[in-house]
Amino acid sequence: MKKNQVAVFIVVLLLAVVFLFPIYLAVLMSVKTAKQTFDSFYALPSSFDLSNYWHAWETSKFPIAITNSLIITSLSVILIVLVSALAGYSIARRNKPFYNIIFLLFLSGMMIPFQVTMLPLYKLGKNLHMLDTHWGIILIYGGFGVQTGVLFYTAFIRQISKEIEEAAKIDGCSTPGIFMRIIIPLLKPVTATVVVLNALYIWNDFLLPLLYLQDNSYRTIPLQQYFFFGQYSSDLNLAFAYAVMGMIPVIAFFLVMQKFIIKGIAAGAVKG
Amino acid sequence: MGNLKQAMRKEMWYLLFILPGICLFVMAVVIPLIMGARYSFTNWDGVSNTFASIGWDNYVQAFQDPGFWEALWNTFKYALILTILVNVISLLLALVLDSFLPFRNIFRTIFFLPSVISIVLSGFIWSYNYSTGIPTLLSHLGLDVTSPLGNPDYALFGLILVALWQGVGAPMIIYIAGLQGIPNELHESAKIDGAGSGKAFWYITLPLLAPSVTINLLLVLTGSLKVFDLVYVTTKGGPGFSTEVVSTYIYRTSFSSFKGGYGMALSMMFFLILVVVTVVQMSISRRREVEM
Repeated sequence: MKKNQVAVFIVVLLLAVVFLFPIYLAVLMSVKTAKQTFDSFYALPSSFDLSNYWHAWETSKFPIAITNSLIITSLSVILIVLVSALAGYSIARRNKPFYNIIFLLFLSGMMIPFQVTMLPLYKLGKNLHMLDTHWGIILIYGGFGVQTGVLFYTAFIRQISKEIEEAAKIDGCSTPGIFMRIIIPLLKPVTATVVVLNALYIWNDFLLPLLYLQDNSYRTIPLQQYFFFGQYSSDLNLAFAYAVMGMIPVIAFFLVMQKFIIKGIAAGAVKG
Repeated sequence: MGNLKQAMRKEMWYLLFILPGICLFVMAVVIPLIMGARYSFTNWDGVSNTFASIGWDNYVQAFQDPGFWEALWNTFKYALILTILVNVISLLLALVLDSFLPFRNIFRTIFFLPSVISIVLSGFIWSYNYSTGIPTLLSHLGLDVTSPLGNPDYALFGLILVALWQGVGAPMIIYIAGLQGIPNELHESAKIDGAGSGKAFWYITLPLLAPSVTINLLLVLTGSLKVFDLVYVTTKGGPGFSTEVVSTYIYRTSFSSFKGGYGMALSMMFFLILVVVTVVQMSISRRREVEM
């Protein structure tokens, strides 16, 4: 058995190396010059050269892109959390046909693939002047995120005992008061799940920005990278420096929030 | 009278709470869906504001469109192969990472890491990997290979590998969570009864893991049937027609060929196909689950 365990360990280790290889290659490319790459492809450079990064920072509008990504991701996530928590509270506490039907509609909406609504969404965005704005895309992300958000919050609030709320009601506390003072403080775990899942999706999303944010000054990181790679396909070292720059925030977010992300995915599977 | 007023006021708060959610949902999902269904019966070009109703013509045309069928075939080939590979590999990883392996937390992080990178980035990295990275490595072994993405016979498999690299992380987490929910006593009593680890896996672990299998099969299958970004940023459907999938075909029809009405008819058919796949898959796998 011991021998088996060593064999399994070696196989997993090799697989891990294969998994890390593309990322390693990207980092390696980003710190070398074209000549160094040509001379010896896999060798580490004799000196770490960060000029690719400097150059990429200057030519790529990276600060604008990261600002756009931060604004759109954070505001969308806040919107999703607020709207879903409120709606989830109503559905969880009013066990009436109207609320249950709304709940079912949110659920069935999740089945609709984005591709089906993409052309009408573009048309709608154009008619309502939502293209090339922050608020337009944030509202759409809100509409997408509220479907799973409501699911999470409803299930979570249903498990909260009603006794405290009823006591507060007798003391004359209004519905908004109960929600603000009693419910919100209890929602932290489910909010963490909703935040990390939506933040990762929105930060990395490509298709909706491709439709909604064509203007240079509104592009998010993935979209800006897509155009940058097309433009600098001959200067690969520069393109890879930009790729690694885009990778750093999301990997940092993942490493810091890992516990919540893993919990969120496991919780999402149970709810689904 | 006072009571009624108070009850109304209470109900009003609940309605106010749910209203913003309904508004956003209607704007982002319901209205576009209704618009799309309506456009699918017109000759709309996707841009202008004028169009005329043409009945079921778009749907009739879709049935006779070889491009659509080929894209559908590619999509299902991609999705089925990917679903099987992702689930087998992530289940194996979960089994070993849930048990004795040293450094298993680090391994979990490594296998999950590619999932958080945007598809634009992974597409770019892998295109380069395929065209230069791997051939250079293999040339040291005397092998001469070219990028699979440039070869119509292998391009789809090249994309499946990239999706596999990015796709095993989340199912692995779900399988690990499922494994941790299986009580240890069951394994112990099986061992006492003389069952080997293979038998224990087949008769205890797998049946009790069925809910996780169901959800993972469903998530990966429906997710991969909708594939768009990866194809769009790497091969754009080429070489030839070899990696054209339904989503990229719809995108091309709607935005590049200016056949909005027809693109919407294709979308609606695709939606219907997805619903059927989901329902069939759910009913098959739910039957296999056992109650704890």
